[in-house]
Amino acid sequence: MLFSTPSVLTMIHGIVLSGGALLALAAALFAVRAMALPDGAPVSQAQGTSFARVTSLAAILLWFAVLGGTYLVFPLYRAAPPEGLTALAAFPRALLMSDPETRWLHAFAMEIKEHMPWIAAMLATAVAVVAHRRRATLLADGPMRRVASALLATTFVIVSFVAILGVFVNKVAPLE
Amino acid sequence: MHEPTPATPRANGVELAAVLAAGIGAAALGIFVLLHEAGSYSAPALYAPSGGLSGRTTGAVAVWLVAWVVLATRWRGRELGPTRILAWTLGLTAFALLATFPPLWALL
Repeated sequence: MLFSTPSVLTMIHGIVLSGGALLALAAALFAVRAMALPDGAPVSQAQGTSFARVTSLAAILLWFAVLGGTYLVFPLYRAAPPEGLTALAAFPRALLMSDPETRWLHAFAMEIKEHMPWIAAMLATAVAVVAHRRRATLLADGPMRRVASALLATTFVIVSFVAILGVFVNKVAPLE
Repeated sequence: MHEPTPATPRANGVELAAVLAAGIGAAALGIFVLLHEAGSYSAPALYAPSGGLSGRTTGAVAVWLVAWVVLATRWRGRELGPTRILAWTLGLTAFALLATFPPLWALL
């Protein structure tokens, strides 16, 4: 088989879900600024609904990425090798920890990847709730729009940082 | 063809409850991680293959959802200052990011 199941899971987690969430977050960040209206101006239903949908998409993709990462990919990553095994390619964490030069990829990169995405998912959910409940007014409501914009920017930075770390880990110790 | 909707002010308590609850959930995760790293308390593994991570994150999600329900119930129908809630949320998020940043665990 060209791609193993763990490899496919990693690609779905990293590219489809996390990559898709990053795209949706970028689109939402652009939209919240490009479609901003003066306070109190009428908001077209199409714009309000589109913005609500793209924020929901970002939150949904992030939650699937986070849950899939924690409960499907992470167990494969942290599996312990049998005693005495020296060929560690199938055991990414053990492989990273076996070399002082790559140990930081677990102790720093992977530790961050375990926790920070959950923070991003909660923030993205808050933005989606705000965008949905206030879709008729948000784009013409400066203070609430700034809340959405700040949370979107924070979420985007967290997900981008985590994604880069994921690339580093997968480059050195891929799930195969 | 959709008609533009006039923007009218209305209570924003439920929306801001979701915002602050996210910050509280994030901070809860940070606290679970710090307690674990300090050796004071380790959340039990709710799914053995994922280890303690499953307990820490499930605990944080539980705190997040409870905070959300409580705040939404208390703030329903109220008009609150978004800037103040945003500041609290970003502060809690900053704490959570620091708490989950491994180089700082060496200070514990």
